[in-house]
Amino acid sequence: MKAFAYVTPQSPESAVELVRDDGRFYAGGVDLLGEMKEFLATPRTLVNVKALPGSGEIGFDAAQCTVGANVTVADLAAHPRIIGALPGLALAAAEVGSPQIRNMATVGGNLAQHSRCWYYRHRDVHCRKKGGAKCFARTGEAKYHSLFTGCMCVSPAVSNLAVALAALDARVCVLRGRGVDKLTVEELYASAWTNPLAHNSLGPADLILRVEIPIPAGGRSTYMQVSEKSDFDWALVSCAASALVSGRSVSRVRIVLGAVAPVPWQVAEANQLLEGRTLDDGLAGKAADRILRDATPLEGNGYKLPIARALIRRSLQKLVA
Amino acid sequence: MPWPKERKYLGKPMPRVDAPDKVTGAAKYTTDVLPAGMLFAGIFRSSWPAAKINSIDLAAARAAPGIRAAVVAREGPRRARYYGEELAAVAGVSRQAVEDALRLIKVDATPLPFVVDEMDAIQAGAPQVIEDGPNFTRPAARETGNVSEGFSRSASVASGAYSAAVELHHCLEPHGNMIAWEGDQVNAWASTQGVFSVRDGLAESFGIPQNKVRVICDHMGGGFGSKLGFGVEGALCARLAKAAGAPVQLMLTRFEESLCVGNRPSTFQKIRLGADKDGRLLAFDMDALGSPGFAAGVSTAAGGGGADIPSPFIYKVPSARVRQANVAVNAGSARAMRAPGHPQASFGMESIMDDLAAKLGIDPVEFRLRNDPMEIRQREYGIGAEKFGWKEKYRKPGSSPGPVKTGIGCAGATWGGGGGRGQAEVQVNPDGTVEVRCGTQDLGTGSRTVARLVAAEMLQVEPSGVAVRIGDSLLPPNGSSGGSTTTANIGPAVFNACENAVAELARLSGIAEPRGGRWLEACRKIGVNPLTASGRWQPGLSSQGVGGVQFAEVDVDTETGFVKLRRILCVQDCGLIVNPLTCRSQVYGGIIMGIGYALYEQRVMDRTSGVVLNPNFETYKLPGPADMPDIDVILLDMPERGIIGIGEPVTIPTASAIANAVANALGVRVSDLPITPDRVLAALGLVSGLRPSWAERPIPA
Repeated sequence: MKAFAYVTPQSPESAVELVRDDGRFYAGGVDLLGEMKEFLATPRTLVNVKALPGSGEIGFDAAQCTVGANVTVADLAAHPRIIGALPGLALAAAEVGSPQIRNMATVGGNLAQHSRCWYYRHRDVHCRKKGGAKCFARTGEAKYHSLFTGCMCVSPAVSNLAVALAALDARVCVLRGRGVDKLTVEELYASAWTNPLAHNSLGPADLILRVEIPIPAGGRSTYMQVSEKSDFDWALVSCAASALVSGRSVSRVRIVLGAVAPVPWQVAEANQLLEGRTLDDGLAGKAADRILRDATPLEGNGYKLPIARALIRRSLQKLVA
Repeated sequence: MPWPKERKYLGKPMPRVDAPDKVTGAAKYTTDVLPAGMLFAGIFRSSWPAAKINSIDLAAARAAPGIRAAVVAREGPRRARYYGEELAAVAGVSRQAVEDALRLIKVDATPLPFVVDEMDAIQAGAPQVIEDGPNFTRPAARETGNVSEGFSRSASVASGAYSAAVELHHCLEPHGNMIAWEGDQVNAWASTQGVFSVRDGLAESFGIPQNKVRVICDHMGGGFGSKLGFGVEGALCARLAKAAGAPVQLMLTRFEESLCVGNRPSTFQKIRLGADKDGRLLAFDMDALGSPGFAAGVSTAAGGGGADIPSPFIYKVPSARVRQANVAVNAGSARAMRAPGHPQASFGMESIMDDLAAKLGIDPVEFRLRNDPMEIRQREYGIGAEKFGWKEKYRKPGSSPGPVKTGIGCAGATWGGGGGRGQAEVQVNPDGTVEVRCGTQDLGTGSRTVARLVAAEMLQVEPSGVAVRIGDSLLPPNGSSGGSTTTANIGPAVFNACENAVAELARLSGIAEPRGGRWLEACRKIGVNPLTASGRWQPGLSSQGVGGVQFAEVDVDTETGFVKLRRILCVQDCGLIVNPLTCRSQVYGGIIMGIGYALYEQRVMDRTSGVVLNPNFETYKLPGPADMPDIDVILLDMPERGIIGIGEPVTIPTASAIANAVANALGVRVSDLPITPDRVLAALGLVSGLRPSWAERPIPA
């Protein structure tokens, strides 16, 4: 990798100031160091944000959970109150990488991680995400790529936490300039759909501070994924779901898919389809049909459709089980 | 067999002699050898899958801070034939200096058309991989018996198309050396399976006498056949060390391990198999091809190896026609890989065996018993089926209820093994301690422990009193560690050296039986100079030709395509078991490698850019702890056969058994390895818009 300067600011404001000098925020380093080793990123400065006050804490009040950006994925997965109140988030965290990766990886880093597309990550392939002329995956080896492809770059969003947090209607608090924006997960990723160079909607000096997650009474959540291996593998497709549940009747349903589009994939119509209904496998199948209706698979990744369908049905069943 | 009937140490579990050193970090691997003034080095590689290399400009790299030497891999204009081929190398005072300098190398190149897909490469008009030859030649078919008559007499004929992807060795310790010149003497610390083959390769490439080269390998982290030779990376390291006048360490990175240090060739097999109504095989016909990379089986600097496979493998088919071809593609060259050719042959043959058994309505184990000519495997199928509960578990293909279907499968294998060229020296000291010296190396099979156990047994001394020196080309030559021959070489050589030492000790001490109670007394009479005796491999202490069978049980989720391997049972013949612990360790390793071949591993080449798309452990998927099934190992202890190697046979049938279990669960076959969820779902007919299968494309005449 290229040599770099390393600084450790004590406040978010100075972190943002320091990162403007061709810098990158550095927390767990899981994603960033890989990019630097491949010379995909050659920052002049690494701004270590791990020391920012309060950024490693998980807090609860009556209706909300607040997770600092520097909480590790391992701590999130093992936190008893998260497991109790927000099981979908704990399950998603537990599926991230390996124990070693979860020990280092942070919530902020997981949300802000860059594309895992093997063309993008290859040091000698100059793809569209790196400013090149073409998306190699669109006509190439697209086994791990998006099902929803009406965009310029088809590398999928693979953050497990983003999928789970989207289903939980979480807000991601981002320091932008002097103010803090509270973004939905959809807003956090929107640019990845419209701009092939973007991995998410964060500007170079935007810093994730924390995540706020509502905890509604009667709310349930879950998360599941299918990978090629039993552990330490990316999801081929992931699915998070949440709802207010009473018996087998559900309302305020959220179903979100991961690894199928450059953004966590949610279809409002499918959520509404289930509003106030008693859930059975037929209805779950209808929701799956609606979510997957507009999929335009690439050569070699159509197999993700049956997996997505199975995960949607199983997640919904699990919510009311 | 002259091995003692009553054995005190042989066959008893003994932890590896070097285990404490390995777990504490005291064991010295090549990267741990850091002499003062040592330089680091790195290789500049072709970023083109095919190109004319007109010139390479090293001036800026040479002038970079901390750089002490830079060399081109080959002088003058040349061609690069795959992404990652070595073009130049630099050595400098730090890894960072080397990495920075590599980025300053300028190449004037003319990119050429390339082809990385086997089925593309065999079509007319495909880019030519090798300048002066076709990508593909088809030798005539070999035919034994009358195949057309065999098929016409068959009551049932199965046909199928089976393929397996290129598998990479991915030794956990990458390839590399630390090389130091001292005048006209050169010393190399190599991660190698052959200290003598590296010595000879080094001597040859520099035109220096073999007795001016010393190669040391105290410990190494896996080879699997890919570390038998000196390699391009070894030659570049030695040249840099010479040019810089300083020791140089050149270790490859994980990225490079994916490109240029060998692989198991791909295989594509179209097979027909016929049998009579009683399930006796009558005819076999195979048209196969595979790619061993750019050289298409021509030897490269570190060996090579073709893509030919020994089909129909273990089965006796009265008539057989086999036609196979090697295909050149713009990709790194194959090297020997744990039982070269055999897992490929096993997979195709055992697959069609089950497909035919299903057509005939015969139980797969029963079908094998009717057609497997080896008495040992016949026995093993009996033992294994009983232990596995085959009869109770077996259902007709696809008849397991529910969305998650259970299936079972089996497969058999054989391998040569055996020794033939081992040498060793035994030294008995006046204080009664013993040293064994043997110019072998420990590929991971526990060579030190083997030598210690044999010496302790033959001299009747405590194992802790036996020191073992290996991994040095100054020691008695013992051959490379390949072909599952190491233990069968070391054992008899040490046996013979001990016999000679005992005879010499009896003569020197005047004690007719110096072993046992009078050992110390005899040793004290040796005098000041310790006694040494040499030994050679002797016939009658080892043999070859093992039989093994494996059974697999899987759960397959028919909605997601996910395969969960539940259980592997291995019944394996391995002659005299020297050490059950290291023996089982080899069996586990072989099975785990077979699991990777079955379910996870494949090198993915990109047709558009020509690069390896998964040069890392993120997307080149190796099985991990969570993927492990229960593995039961039953070893048939047959001391009367002497020592037989075990490393290779145990990896051969694993993938075949798993593939058969998946086919049994689903009722349809996933005929391409690895069996990943996308392929399972495709086989179930749940995926549309699939790329046409390779099997639908013609193989030109």
